[in-house]
Amino acid sequence: MSGRSSDSTARPSGIGRVATPQPKAADAEIREVATSLAESVRSFRRSLHIRTVDTGSCAVCESEIRLLAAPHYDLHRLGFFFTPAPRHADLLLVTGPVARGMEVALRKTYDAMPDPKAVVAVGACPLGGVFAPDDWVHGNLDAVIPVDVFVPGCPPSPLALLHGLLLAVGRLGAKVTEDPFTATATPRPAADAPPPTKAVEVSQPAVAAEAASRSETT
Amino acid sequence: MSRVDVVRAAPGDFETVLLRLLGASDARVADLFASTASTAPAAPAAPAAPTAPGGPDGAQPDRAITLRAIVASDAEGGYVVVESDFEDGVYPPLSDLSPATFVEECEIFEEFSARPMGGKPLNRVLVPPHAETDFPRLGTGPPVVEPGVRAPHVVAGQAFEFPVGPVRGVGQESLYMGLVTTGEEVLDLYLHQWHKHRGIERRVHGWPAERALFLVERAEGLSAVATAWAFCRAVERAAAVAVPAPVERTRAVALELERLYNHAAAVAALCQSTGLSVGQAQAEIALERLLRVNLAAAGHRYLFGTLAIGGVTRALDVSAVRALLPEAVAELRRVVRALRTTNSFLDRLEAAGTVPQETARGLGLVGPIARASGVEIDCRRDHPYGPYAEHPPEVRTRHSGDVLARMEVMAEEVEDSRRLIWDLTAAGLDSGCVPVPYGEPATGLGWCESPRGESLAWVSVDEEGRIERLRLRPASVRNWRAFDDAARARNVFTDVPIIEASFWLTVAGFAR
Ligand code: SF4
Repeated sequence: MSGRSSDSTARPSGIGRVATPQPKAADAEIREVATSLAESVRSFRRSLHIRTVDTGSCAVCESEIRLLAAPHYDLHRLGFFFTPAPRHADLLLVTGPVARGMEVALRKTYDAMPDPKAVVAVGACPLGGVFAPDDWVHGNLDAVIPVDVFVPGCPPSPLALLHGLLLAVGRLGAKVTEDPFTATATPRPAADAPPPTKAVEVSQPAVAAEAASRSETT
Repeated sequence: MSRVDVVRAAPGDFETVLLRLLGASDARVADLFASTASTAPAAPAAPAAPTAPGGPDGAQPDRAITLRAIVASDAEGGYVVVESDFEDGVYPPLSDLSPATFVEECEIFEEFSARPMGGKPLNRVLVPPHAETDFPRLGTGPPVVEPGVRAPHVVAGQAFEFPVGPVRGVGQESLYMGLVTTGEEVLDLYLHQWHKHRGIERRVHGWPAERALFLVERAEGLSAVATAWAFCRAVERAAAVAVPAPVERTRAVALELERLYNHAAAVAALCQSTGLSVGQAQAEIALERLLRVNLAAAGHRYLFGTLAIGGVTRALDVSAVRALLPEAVAELRRVVRALRTTNSFLDRLEAAGTVPQETARGLGLVGPIARASGVEIDCRRDHPYGPYAEHPPEVRTRHSGDVLARMEVMAEEVEDSRRLIWDLTAAGLDSGCVPVPYGEPATGLGWCESPRGESLAWVSVDEEGRIERLRLRPASVRNWRAFDDAARARNVFTDVPIIEASFWLTVAGFAR
């Protein structure tokens, strides 16, 4: 039994069922990401506020987002806070395939957020990987609002979400330096922030490494 | 193995047959749904093609439906599927017999424009208000867009309606709650869940069953194993294949792992809703550990993709389960024990959100909520499937029906699930899939006790295993309908989140 035990790739042939392997939430790795996160948040006076919107998720992405604040990940310690008010939010985490019934609520939330703001698409749903666009859902988030960071995974593990937040903070920093937010001031030169690019996608080297380590250990 | 009988009744006899079945002790209508009548032309196949509107000159759209009621006899074990064709789309008002079926009657109207005799007002359930008449539906939708009718409630005098949602707290699902209040006490409450409707039942029309499984799991991700197992069993019954016992045991271990993490999450949510951050943090540690057990055992924190039609896609890492699980369960046990001696916590739970036994029976509730109200049902025991005939669960009940009772039921089920996992792994697990030969068009019913209660799936597949009609009825579809009753019963505003946490339902499962 144990010979086959963790053979996660064995599945009936020819069927497109994707079970996303997830990074082993190695505590060392979490610490590493957390340290870089804490560093980037420092330039925001250690205070970034996150608002979430569920646009038709299966409730699992929500569960992973809630766990970000749990002791194993403890987002608050890094200077992130969840806020119930979109007007206080810097980052918007969106889950689900943008069900058309949620479109108005999503747009209102997005519009209510002050600039600069960054949008993180959480999971395969808002990336367009679960539902095809049709009369019920838009199928992907950037059909409705501009997206800064895509975090793949079904669901993305909290570690992948931390990676995603790290990228989003970089984007936010770039937006701040890019736009003086006053009518008269001249744009400041970008200090050490990376130039704003097109939407970035969290690469998942951790996933590959994890898959490799799993097959080695068995 | 529990039996499934199919009774075909003449339209005139439908009600009589149901009455006779319901006369037996402990029989209940577990589900009610419609499909386009078998005699009618095939339902539209291409998902993108808009359904033809009902004709330019108001020609009557075809409203013929086949109506099916699933009656569960919990005392004797076994389900009966009663089916009848109604040519004109008018059927006897079953919610008069069994109030539990009211939500289903509303759904049938939205999807097929068939309605119960007597013209009682129906609520809006899943089709969003912006949907026009050409919005794709399972059958022929209503010829005119009717304004949504809400649950009957009075907003007058000192009372006002306090809208909550659909975007709610962080990490909470979208849900609209209309709270009717005079300031503190909840006088009435109604829910709108259509925001999240993703049309999964219609979407999978014409798909091979194997492909549909992908979305079935994602209908309610927190019960992915249970929903998938119910669906797999439905397809396996339609194709008349039997899954070997050791493979069924693998499925059962996955199901019990799912129950464990869900109950831990419910305890964490209860602590959060009462503002008990220390308890919440401890419960979340237990939850994260349980999720890591899942990851080690099946390669996915929420056990997605573990089940396949005809078996399982992978073997579970039994040694990892046995090594990691005891500690995670012990953590949860410590939290619950501490909570049980925290008076300030218990004060919030006792007598909050009470669901009396008659309400639980009348509304057809299932799972821990029903058991906490003294309704002793558990389809693992009443309708044994898979390995549960040899490994029966212990059914735990309480009688007070309040939030505390629900937490205690869940806490005891945690211990029972752990025991079951040990028994099942000791009996030996195996992986693999048996081939599923589809021969002729067939139908099948599957069921499974999810962490939230009985989850049903009914399919009809054609000769190549493509889905003609899928009906998913996760436990959330049943149990949300008790939420307003529980919230109304002499509670104040701040009790609502506590009650919601103790129900531990998902909107996704309702709005599938
Ligand atoms: S991405 Fe996957 S886990 Fe997240 S909501 Fe969508 S289906 Fe669920």
